[in-house]
Parts: sequence; structure tokens; C-alpha cells
Amino acid sequence: MSRFFHAGSDSETESESSDDGVVDVRPTGLTRAVLQFSDDEEETKRVVRSEKDKRFDELKGIIKVLKNHKKIKDMANVLTDFESLTRAFDKARKVVDREGLPRFYIRTLADLEDFVNECWEDKEWRKNISKGNSKGLSTVRQKIKKYNRDFEAQLTAYRENPDAGDEDAEDEEEVKAADEEPAKPVVKKEEKAPKAPKVVTGDDDDDSDWGTESSEEESSSEDEARGISHWTAEYFLKSTTEQEAQRREERKLEKKLRKEEKEGKKKEEEEDDDEEGWQKVNSGAPSQAITEKPKLFAKDQEITLDAVVKKLNEIIIMRGKKGTDRSMMIELLQELKTIAEGANLGKPLAVKICFNIMAAIYDYNPNIATCMKSEMWEKSSLPTIQELLDTLVENTDIQVSETISEENELLDKGGPYRIRGCILTMVERLDEEFTKMLQACDAHSTEFVERLKDEQAMCDIIVKLESYLEKHGTSEEMCRIYLRHIEHLYYKFDPSAFETATPEQPDKTSQAVMDRMCKFIYAKDNTDRLRTRAMLCHIYHHALHDRWYQARDLMVISNLQDNIQYSDVSTQILYNRTLVQLGLCGFRQGHIRDAHNALVDIQSSNRAKELLAQGLVPQRQHERSPEQEKIEKRRLLPYHKHINLELLECVYLVSAMLIEIPFMAAHELELRKRLISKNFHHVLKMSERQTLTGPPESMREHVVAASKSMKNGDWKKCRNYIINEKMNAKVWDLFYQADKVRDMISAKIQEESLRTYLFRYSAMYDSLSLESLATMFEISPRLVHATISKMIINEELMASLDEPTQIVVMHRTEPTRLQSLALQLSEKVGSLVDNNERIMEIKQGNFFFFNKNNVTGNRPDQRDNYQNQNQQGWGGRGRQQRNQNRDRGDRGDRGGDRERGGDRDYRGGDRDRDHRGGDRDNYRNRDQRERY
Amino acid sequence: MASKRGIDSQVELVQIDGLVVLKMIKHSQEEGAGGTDLVQGVLLGMVVENRLEITNCFPFPKHNEDEDFDQVSVQYQIEMMRNLRHVNVDHLHVGWYQSSYFGAFINRALLDSQFNYQHSIEESVVLIYDPLRTTQGFLSLKAYRLTPEMMKFYKESDFTPENMAKHGINFETILEEIPIVLRNSHLVNALLCELSDKTKKDQKFSALDLGTSSMLEKNLRQLMECVDEVAVDTNKYLNYQRNNFRQQQTKQQYILKRDQENLQRKQRGEPPLPEEDLNKLFKPLPTPQRLDCTLVAGQMDSYCKQVCEFASQSLAKLFMAETLHVDQTN
Repeated sequence: MSRFFHAGSDSETESESSDDGVVDVRPTGLTRAVLQFSDDEEETKRVVRSEKDKRFDELKGIIKVLKNHKKIKDMANVLTDFESLTRAFDKARKVVDREGLPRFYIRTLADLEDFVNECWEDKEWRKNISKGNSKGLSTVRQKIKKYNRDFEAQLTAYRENPDAGDEDAEDEEEVKAADEEPAKPVVKKEEKAPKAPKVVTGDDDDDSDWGTESSEEESSSEDEARGISHWTAEYFLKSTTEQEAQRREERKLEKKLRKEEKEGKKKEEEEDDDEEGWQKVNSGAPSQAITEKPKLFAKDQEITLDAVVKKLNEIIIMRGKKGTDRSMMIELLQELKTIAEGANLGKPLAVKICFNIMAAIYDYNPNIATCMKSEMWEKSSLPTIQELLDTLVENTDIQVSETISEENELLDKGGPYRIRGCILTMVERLDEEFTKMLQACDAHSTEFVERLKDEQAMCDIIVKLESYLEKHGTSEEMCRIYLRHIEHLYYKFDPSAFETATPEQPDKTSQAVMDRMCKFIYAKDNTDRLRTRAMLCHIYHHALHDRWYQARDLMVISNLQDNIQYSDVSTQILYNRTLVQLGLCGFRQGHIRDAHNALVDIQSSNRAKELLAQGLVPQRQHERSPEQEKIEKRRLLPYHKHINLELLECVYLVSAMLIEIPFMAAHELELRKRLISKNFHHVLKMSERQTLTGPPESMREHVVAASKSMKNGDWKKCRNYIINEKMNAKVWDLFYQADKVRDMISAKIQEESLRTYLFRYSAMYDSLSLESLATMFEISPRLVHATISKMIINEELMASLDEPTQIVVMHRTEPTRLQSLALQLSEKVGSLVDNNERIMEIKQGNFFFFNKNNVTGNRPDQRDNYQNQNQQGWGGRGRQQRNQNRDRGDRGDRGGDRERGGDRDYRGGDRDRDHRGGDRDNYRNRDQRERY
Repeated sequence: MASKRGIDSQVELVQIDGLVVLKMIKHSQEEGAGGTDLVQGVLLGMVVENRLEITNCFPFPKHNEDEDFDQVSVQYQIEMMRNLRHVNVDHLHVGWYQSSYFGAFINRALLDSQFNYQHSIEESVVLIYDPLRTTQGFLSLKAYRLTPEMMKFYKESDFTPENMAKHGINFETILEEIPIVLRNSHLVNALLCELSDKTKKDQKFSALDLGTSSMLEKNLRQLMECVDEVAVDTNKYLNYQRNNFRQQQTKQQYILKRDQENLQRKQRGEPPLPEEDLNKLFKPLPTPQRLDCTLVAGQMDSYCKQVCEFASQSLAKLFMAETLHVDQTN
């Protein structure tokens, strides 16, 4: 047996080693052993100087130094060694996770702890040592105590069986791997495993071992796969000996056996196992469990209902107490359940225990931000609930209610059972956990997809519960479960809604289901929140399936827009989503203005992502506090509910374009720009600011380019910018009936381009033939006629239609561009003159003021001045009045004044000038006086 | 050289060689991107009696974003002038030229550089060439320089209203225009005469373009921009006045109060309160700078003149066209 053919078996070794708790902690030993004993070893492994070796060598080096220091009892150095050791171990964490905990490390830890304790006990010695040493001793004692807590399981295992590692205890370099010895336990265990305990009260130790094994096998099988991919070439080149093959056969058989076992043992056991599986990694729970489990029931104790209930209460009492191991609680409860089932104590008890298991599971995670572990979800919570629900549905004589107190519970056989608990709350909580788990996954990973598959299970549970509650529950409870159902239903697109043929089961379509449930809630609900949410979901569902009028009417009737700001955040998010969906629906149906109105609020702030809770947007002004961020993260919707933001923006921009461009053309000459949608203007402006506008790439650039060509009345270019391959792929194909939408957009573009053209260029024409317009924009003359008529009625276009000749005759009442510019200019100049006058007036006032306060002797003079001014006719007085008006800040008056300003200036030009001249004279006089 | 001549020998006429004009036009055509980019260059020539003869020019290198552009450009100019001297061409620096977009040239930058020019070379002028207006049918070329008052005023760089009043600066007295005479050698004149016979008729009458609105619209828009600017400035001034007024008022009140208190103290035989620096208590508000506003006003003035000029020409053309029409219909 050369070492070559063992190349392929490395993975096996690992899986083998990880099969057993004892061996799996010392893979290094095996690795080392390969070098020396490759020939006659069964469990060998080809060696590669890998990261693992590097890390472990490092660890060993430190351990060696540590040992030396221990010998001379140099506690200060022991402390530093210990610290560097832990650090090195952290570095090696990755390897350790893959390979399992190295045995020598555990041994070092155990030895160190013993050593420290020994030193601690030795009071005589402690008195004599230096200060640094004693300090080091106490620190290292605390540290190791704390540190070892994490490895309690392994340590106990080691302490129980320290001999296993004894062989290499003397020297790390010579780890002999004790191949025979560890191999034996493996075999032993393997033999044991198949006859894993059926008697539940039996060998607990074995049970737990078994659990470890199965979970770890999973992880190691992954390794196996990896290992194979690494070694493919060699793997296939090297042949295996018969022995090897035989071993494999054996293993296969064994695995099969185990699998059968597993199936036989049913899911509870699986849960059990996996619980332990991950507990083991996490903490020292199993070891505790091992030590504590025997406490559950004595071996020969009779298992009765009362005993189980008593035990259950005992366990439950621990709940919430400090220092209670939560994972252990779950495990104990599950254990108890199996026991109860084994003793055939009836369904009610199982239900009760189930309730408690669920409660314990929910309790497990004290942090609301983090989600349940997926194993826990898959293996324990989901099946438990399912089972619970099934039991409840099957056994109608079990009554479950929150209102039943613990004392009034009836679990005895026969008669109706009464159990305290609320299945609805449990399911609701489960649903929340489910959402949280989805939130925690990366939306683009397979993990997310895996989780999302459970959505169906979740829905099934809800539907089941729904039918259960329909029989047993109150209307309030039904409202709650209906809402849950609705919230799982409303965002799902149902293509059957678009099929013209009536479906075979008209009451089974999602629409019918939604209708039924929502109406129930509208009628029966007495908390406002549920009704609001149901209504929003209903609208959303309508909008999603293009039932525009129903959706809109419901939205209008609900009057939600007025009081939505008083509701909670998640409802507001739902409202935003509904509004957006309504906008999209309106767009698909060609209600451009409505679509725009629905979307403008969401889009204008540029925070659509945040408003729809589809992601966190970094804030510019202030950083979020971590708490705030956590809260916001919790609000985020799982990915499958997201609304495509690009689609949203595109729909918004296109509808804004269709509204805004004709509007801009119509009001081009107006002084004050009125904006319909700011965001659209912003986008336009941004593109104008670019030095070079290349061919459009992004969706936004496409829309901008389209807007520009529409401005010039070039509808064909506009359409081509909006509807092309790129845009189809990016946006339009996301719609269900994309072609319909495209046709609608195209028609709208033609119509609006016509309007824009008329606005812009009508001044150039005396008359226009409808025919030629129709051919120009490739629309029917009827539509041209209708559009132009509408414009004439709305007084947007000063023209009249001449029916017999089919032409539009322009009236030319609008000022030409030059004229309107001149008008604007004159208006501006007018206001400027006004301002200038005010400056003059303030100067006068200034003067007044100075005189009054400055030189008291000048008083008569000043009065003269005043009289002088008064005598200057009504122009002066008028001005003063105006002045007063202004001082009062009466702006409206001034506006009127300005309008009349032109007149006044013309009429009273001379007088005014006189007056001004006088003023100036006065001023000069004053100057002179002041100089004197 | 500049210091030798007194102020009496002011340049009263700018005589430009045809070569210079053509060079300028070519420059702006080639590098000005159709008149939207500004181009600049150096004028060369000399002063003869009260006449500034500009006989040659060369363009500035194209502007780029480099930091040491100024240095490079100065280097380039010196080099260029040296080279010209070698080939025995006029090499005396007598000013600079700049293209402009529809007469929008009165701004701070122009003022700055013209001031620098005039500061070092007294007789220097700036030639403003407007390519867009030239395409409308008449050559638009003007020579400007800063008035002596403006020179003094700018040197002080104190742009408060008071100082402006002191120097008598207003929008009309910033720049003064100097009449231009174009001069060609006899040979060139002969060539031109020959050419004019050969040109086709429709090329000759480009000056008779009747379209007026685009030109006027542009001018109006520009005017409006200026008016807006002035309005903003006026508002600023108004605010300043108001604040100033308010401050004065509080100051007066303070002084009054202090006086009364002192009077009382005197009566009681106590020493008067110590004098405090009023300026510390009431910091005088910074007076708004008036230069920019004045410049805008000057710009507006030039726009208005342009419009007037253009309108009178257009009117004449239109009358001409009308009579032609009447003749035809008759």
C-alpha cells in the first residue's frame, strides 16, 4: 500500500474523523502520521503544506514556549504566551472550522487550566512570588476560565478520556496520531450507531453523539466534494485497494443504515440531532445536556401524563431566567415531547408541548434585529407549527385559547380538551420570523431562493389556519389571519386575471379570494389598522392586475391620502407601494396624468428606494445612528416584493415628458416658469449641463433624448428613443402585456408631439391642413381634429377650424416672440425703476431722520423742508402715500401700483420730473448745510 | 517710451491695416467655434502723432486649463515679438484684441486686463470684434480704452459709491471709444476693385438681409439678463440702505441715552462715563461694491446703442424693400 492510493481517501478520512467526537478534534495527528506511517495505515491522508499546517505549527510553537514557561512558573510570561496562543488560534479559526478543533489545543488549554489552578492553590508559593508574577497568575486564571467556557464540551470530553491523546502528550512533534486507538472508538461508534436508541430514556450519551455525527457529516460531505474537486486528477489516477473498497462498501452500508434510521426516527429526532449539531459548535450546551439529561426522568420512572406535565412546568419555569440556556430549553422540550409521544400520552399533551417549544424557539433569539437560524427554521419551527396545526385540525375536541388559564387546562383523556395558547399568534410570529429571515439573506444568493421556497409552506400554514379559524375562531381572529393571507397574496401577479375566458372556479382566482377576504375585513374589523392595510393591499392587487377603475375608485373612497400620515410606518410604506403600483397601472392603461400624479411624490424626493423600503439610501446631511439604521433595516421588504425602481422612474419620466413638453412649448414665453414636475426638469437640466451628449445609454438618457426630439415635434425620433431594444430590455418587457403598453406609448407620443408642434410653430402658419398634419404625425384625421378642437376649446390655440376645406386657420392674436420679449423687458425695467425710486426715497427718509436727531438747532429749517415738500403738489403727496404703504409692507398695493406705473409715468412725467428736480435741489441744499 | 509722451498727445484715431482685420477674423473663425468662444490676441504697431497705427497682430495660444498658462502665454508673446523683430515687422505692443458674442464684452476681466495694458503701455487699446454681428452683414469692430478717470479710480480699487462719485465715474465714463480708420495699401485697394467686379451679385447684397427678429430677440434677451442683474444689485443696495438706516437709528439712540446719563451724573457730581468707541459697538456695514453694477449698466448702454443702430439700419432696409414692392405691384 503506497501512500499514493490514499490520495483519494483524504476526504474520507475527514468525514471519518469527523464522524466521531473524539477523533475529529485531532486531524493534525492524522496528517502528521501520514508522513511516517503511511504504509500500514488505513486512515491516512496525503499531506500538503497547507494553511492548516502552517497555522497549527504556529500554535504548536507557542505551546512549546508556554510549556517551558510553565516549568519555571513564570506567570507573567505564561500570560503573554496564553494571549498569543489565543490570537494565533483566532487566526487559525478558518482552518479550525473546517478541520475541527485540534486535540493538542484542547489539551493545552486543559493543562494550563489545571496548572493555573494548582498554582492558585499553592498559597505558600503565591506569597513568595514577585508582583508581576502574581498579577500574571490572577489574570491568566480569569482569562483561561473565561476562555475555556467556549470549549467546555471538548474539554469535558478530553478530561473524561485524557488517555486518548496521551500518546502525543509528550511531544507535539511526534504526534503519532494514535491511529489504532482513535480508530477503535470510531468503529465502536459506528457499530453502535445503527442501533441508536429507540428507547428514549436509554443511553443519552449515545444519542447526543449520534446527533453530532449526523450534522457534522453534512458539513464534511461538503468538504468531501471540495476535496474531490481539488484532487480530481490524482483521485482518478490512483487505484484503491480492495481493502479500501471494502471499507467504502462498509461505510456506504452504514450510511444507508443510518439514513433508514433517520427516516424511521422521524423528524422530531432529526430536529433533536441538528439542534445539538449546532449547539455543539456554539457552546458547551451538549455537555451540559449530557450531564443534566438524566435528570429528566429516571430510567425506570413511569411516564405518566402528570409526570410529563410536571416536568414541563419545571422546564418552563426556567424560562426567562438569567443563566438559562435557551437552546437547551428547546432541546429539553423536544426531548420531553418525544418521551410523551413514546409513552403515548395523547395529542393534547403534544399540542401543549408544541406550544411551549414554539415559545422557546421564539425566545431563543433575544435580539429582534437578527433572524432565526435557517436550520432552526427548517428543522424545528416550521414542522412544529405544521404538526401543531395538523393536530388541531384533526382533533376538533381540543380547544385552544389564550383566555384559558393554566389551572383550567384539561389534558386528561376523554372529553373536550382545553389548552392555553394561541395558534394565531404563533403563526403570526412565524410569519414575522420568515420575513426576517428573508431580509437577512442576500437577495441574489441561492440561500434566498431556498428560503423563498418556504413561502409556499408558509402560505399553506396560513390557509390551513384560516380554515381552522373559520370553524373555531372569532371574527377578530379571522380578520387577523385574513390579513396575513392577504399580505402573502396581494403582491403576487396572477396572469390568469388577464385571460378572457372565465376560469373554471371563479371563486378560486386570486381576485375573488382577495375580494372575499378584504370585504370580510371591511365589514368585521374594528381596528382601523387592519382595514387600512387590507384596503391598501386590495388596491395594490387591483392595480397589479390592471383593474384601474376599481383600484382608483377604492383609493378615492378610502380617503387614505388624508390620514395616512397618522398611521404607522409600515402602513405608510404599504401606502407608498400601493400608490406606485396604482401609478404603474394608470400608465399601462394610458392614464398618463394620473400615473404622473401618483408617481410624482415618490420620485420628486429622489428617495424612492427609501420610501418603498427597498434599501437604505446613504444620507448626506447626517449619519444615521446605529439604532436608527437597525430600525430602518427591519422595515425593509424582502426582495421578492420589490417594485422595480428603474421601471418606476422610467414610467414617471415618460409620463412627465408627455405632460411637460407640450406644456413647456405652450408657455415658452412666459416670464415665470411653472413646473409640473421638478424632477423631470432636473433631469433635463443635468443633461444640458453635460459638455458632450453622446448617444443615449441609460434609461434616463433615452428619455431625455426623446424629450428633446419631442420638443422639436419630431415624434418618430422620440418614439424610437423611448421604444427600442435597449429600453425594451431595461423597462418595457417588465410589463405583463408589453406590446400593448408600447402601442399606447407610441400613440400618446404622436398625439403629444402634434400638440407640441402646434404650440411651437403655429405662429409660423396662417393656416394648416388637417390632412397634412395627419400624414405628418401618422395619425387619423379624426384624432387630429379632436386634438385641435380640444386645444381650441381650452384656449390653448388661437385658431378656428374650417370644416369644408378641412384646415385650421390661425388667428394670430398672440404676440410674436419679439413682442413678448419686449413686453417682458419693459416689465422688468419697470420694476427696476420702481426699485430705484425706493432707493431715492430711503435717502430722503434718511436725511429727515438725521436732521431730527443730529442738530437740534436746525429744526426750523427742517420744517421748512417738510413744508416745501408738501407744497409740491399731489405728485409728491402721492409718493409719500406710496412710501407709507411700502413702509407698512403692503405688497399687494405695490403690485397694483406697478401695473399702473406705466400710465402714471407717462401722464405725470413732467410733473414728476419737476418734483424730482426739486428734490435734488433740496438735497444739494442739505448737503451744503451739512457741510457748514 | 510711454512716459516720454505727455497726456496731451493722446491717441485720437486708430488706424488699422486690412491685414490685422483679416487676421483677427480668421482667428475667430478658426478657433472661436463659430463665434461662441472668445479669442484673444496681441496688437502690434506704433503711435504716430495722435494716431495709433496697428499694423500687425498675432493670436494668443489657445487657452487650456494648465496652471502655468499665464507664464506660458507671456513666454510665447515675448518669443513671438522677438521673432517678428528679427523679420523686421512692427513689434511694439500697442494693445490687444478680443472677439465678443453679440457685444457682450464689458466685464471685469476685460477691465482688468485693459487696465494692466494701459498701466504699462499707456497708448494701448482693445479691439472688439463681433463675429456674429459681422455675419449679419456689417463689420463690427470697435476700439476702446479706459478713460483717465477710470484708470485712477481702478488703481485705488475702492469701489464704494462715495469714491465713484469723487472720481465722477458712471457707466458712460468707464470706456471711451476711439474712432477707427481702416487702411489698405494701394496695391490691396487695386486688388479689391478688381475683385468687386468679379463677385456675383447675390454675394454683394448680403448686407441687405431683411431678417431682423432673431437679432433683436438676442439683444432683448441679453438686455433682460442685464436688467435682472441690475435688479438684484439694486435690491442689495436697498437692503444695505435699510440696514444702515437701522444701525444709524440705534446708534443715535445710544448716543442720546449716553448723553442723558452723563448729564445726570454731572448733576450728581459723578465723573462722566468713559467714552467708548462707537465704531466697535456699531461696526459700519460694508458698503456694496458698485463697480459690477456700473459695468452691467455700461453693458446695457452698449446693447441699447447696438439695438438703435441695428434698428435704424433695418428700418432703412425695410423702407427700401417696401418701395421696391410698390414699384413691382404697380
